Amino acid sequence: MFFRMVRGTFARQWKKMLMIAVTVALGASIATAMLNVMLDVGDKINEELKTYGSNITVIPQSEAVISKLYDVENNDVQTEYIEEEKIGELMTIFWANNITDFAPVNDTLAELNGTEVTLVGSWFDHHLEFKKKGTVYQRDTGLTNLRSWWDITEGEMLDEQKHSENCAMVGVQLAAEQNIRSGDTVTVECSGRTKQLEVVGIFESGDDEDNYIYTTLDCEQELSGCGDMMKKVEVSAITSPDDELAVKAARNPSLLSGDEYDLWYCTAYVSSICFQIQEAIPEASASAVRQIADSEGKILEKTQLLMTLITVLSLFGATLGISNLVTSGVMERSQELALLKAVGATNGEVTLLVLTEIMITSVIGAAAGYFLGFAFAQVIGQSVFSSAVEMSGMAAFIVIVLIIAVTLVGSIPAIRMLMRLRPSEVLHGGH
Amino acid sequence: MIVALLAIVVGATILSGLEMIYYDVPRQMSAQFRSYGANIIFTPSGDGDINNDDIEKGVEVFGSDELEGCTAYRYENTKIHNMPQALAAIDFESVLKTSPYWHIGGDMPSGNGMALVGAKAAEGLGLKSGDTFVCVNSFEVDESVDTSDIPSYEMYTDPESGETYCDHELELVCSGILETGGSEEDYIYVTYDDITALTMNERGCDIVEVSAAGMQEDLKAAAEKINSMGLTISAKLVKRVTASESTVLTKLQSLVFIVTFVVLVLTMICVATTMTAVITERRKEIGLRKALGALNSSIIGEFMSEGLVLGGIGGILGSVLGYYFAQFVSMNVFSSSITFRPLLIPITIAASVMVTGLACLIPIKSAVDVDPALVLKGE
Repeated sequence: MFFRMVRGTFARQWKKMLMIAVTVALGASIATAMLNVMLDVGDKINEELKTYGSNITVIPQSEAVISKLYDVENNDVQTEYIEEEKIGELMTIFWANNITDFAPVNDTLAELNGTEVTLVGSWFDHHLEFKKKGTVYQRDTGLTNLRSWWDITEGEMLDEQKHSENCAMVGVQLAAEQNIRSGDTVTVECSGRTKQLEVVGIFESGDDEDNYIYTTLDCEQELSGCGDMMKKVEVSAITSPDDELAVKAARNPSLLSGDEYDLWYCTAYVSSICFQIQEAIPEASASAVRQIADSEGKILEKTQLLMTLITVLSLFGATLGISNLVTSGVMERSQELALLKAVGATNGEVTLLVLTEIMITSVIGAAAGYFLGFAFAQVIGQSVFSSAVEMSGMAAFIVIVLIIAVTLVGSIPAIRMLMRLRPSEVLHGGH
Repeated sequence: MIVALLAIVVGATILSGLEMIYYDVPRQMSAQFRSYGANIIFTPSGDGDINNDDIEKGVEVFGSDELEGCTAYRYENTKIHNMPQALAAIDFESVLKTSPYWHIGGDMPSGNGMALVGAKAAEGLGLKSGDTFVCVNSFEVDESVDTSDIPSYEMYTDPESGETYCDHELELVCSGILETGGSEEDYIYVTYDDITALTMNERGCDIVEVSAAGMQEDLKAAAEKINSMGLTISAKLVKRVTASESTVLTKLQSLVFIVTFVVLVLTMICVATTMTAVITERRKEIGLRKALGALNSSIIGEFMSEGLVLGGIGGILGSVLGYYFAQFVSMNVFSSSITFRPLLIPITIAASVMVTGLACLIPIKSAVDVDPALVLKGE
């Protein structure tokens, strides 16, 4: 009997029920879209912030001391290096997926037409393969992404696949001083070795690098004679903002308790990523570039907070919209429900009937709304960040709980009214 | 009616709140981006140093709201334990404004005789905070140097060339260790008075870091203006900071825009469904009026004006509530108050009236079309 009545309601009053379902669907879609975007905005903004360049530098363990002991002016006396083959270890650490790019930066003083210039050897779009314990790690990485703020004023970005290793890019200021154009061939000399480099592009960086020459790593290694070694590696990683635990760990990870250590190690703090890099490459010392790492944390925090508050507002709006309609939907049916009471239905039975009908409608609406909202989230992700927004299980959970709660709360005033309903008055039309 | 009004108020609140946030986000976020430090640097325009008076003239181009801070650096090469060491003179009070990312272990120097030692320099020299060290500056003594202040034991004469040299010493206390992860760690920072005492030479500075809020184009225009003033400084944008800041800010603003738009459309639909429900409920009333001889146009007019008034009231309430919401967000996220934009209020009210009007149109039309006899009979 109960189910026949429920079925009857849907068959006869489908228009009203559809309207409630549509409102619930709209509310649920706002909630889904906002929650998904909110939960993913941190990662998205973090990726955008990668345009600031690397936030971790890796240098040989005792390089800082050694270069002081000899002559600070001459880079050639650097005696500590990171072996080129070791650098693949970066792809094996716990947070390897958070490392977006890395590239060696080998700088050497060289002579160009009689003046001393800084020559930097690096990867541009290098394809790196690394074998460890039978697993092959591979990745394309290099300066192309780590120097995204470069303006190529002439020619093009050095492409390792297209250009030979004896190609170079020249900073705009140096190019102007020496009258170098893209397509020219320049001769550089370094500790007695000379090389002809073809200039493929002129770049403007807006800092000291405008006076540098950038070339391939192989070319620099040949010129400086340091073999397959790296002097410094720049790493760009997606990190979580520092909190109390990170500050505590930064002082000394060994002072943390067991649980704290695990939590710290398994969170993408800049300090734990540095720590893991040092574990993987013991002869290297990784340190955070504070300018980048700190600011990223701050901006991420603000963006997330902003999105959270906007989300709360939208959820509030959606909630009110739904409960409004649920209330008016139930009240409209006072005549029908009064009739039920008149023929002997108890308050409990009527309430159960109304709630069941509303719940079924809500769930159908919420399911439709969830997928609609997810589509909205993708529209936002694609149009703002040109990448998909990840589907979050948490968002689905929050939306379900929210919709059920809202529907129940929205029905309360209506149900209270039903309890007080006096069949004779309503049916008589005095209401 | 209350139900419909509530829906309109909520819709208008969301609209006006998000509008205000949308317009204020670039300004507020831009201030946050100042934690990346300087985005403009002044370098000497010709050979020689920057005249300190010109720095003030240069930064005057920025409004007081825009200018976050400015720090002048003067570099000198000295020796510590016979090892070359670069010293930089700065104003310790203002440096954290242009370099908020500096981590200092120990204390910031509070006056003359104290130094902030970069982490790498400290490692090389074996210095901890609290340690004392001696800086030596060697220079040739000629007629221009006032030798009266120099102790005689610091001066010596080269037997071959017969020229007099001086190894002027200055004792400094390392009050803190500077950690940045960048090249700043190679330097030792001291006050201007100390470096003048050490070099016995007063001159301008080598580089000025300026941190100013603004989008890339504004900063570019400001830099060009400074460069055209004919000062001893040449202003340059730190491209890495300004270019990236513009990218992120543009993304963020378009994010808020799209979110506003999506939320807006959905709230509008919510308002529309509520209005439909409210009017459908009054079908009987419409039927009765028609039966009593009311014209369709007078019914439409009455219901529409009712809807529009509702929309207007909702819009006014919504813009006030929206302002408070935006203010709440701004205070919580950026700890600064939001700029009040009066133009947004009429926009919100107009939008709210329009949407309510549109939302009423369809249900009223369908309600007017019914046969009064059928409605009144209850079918």
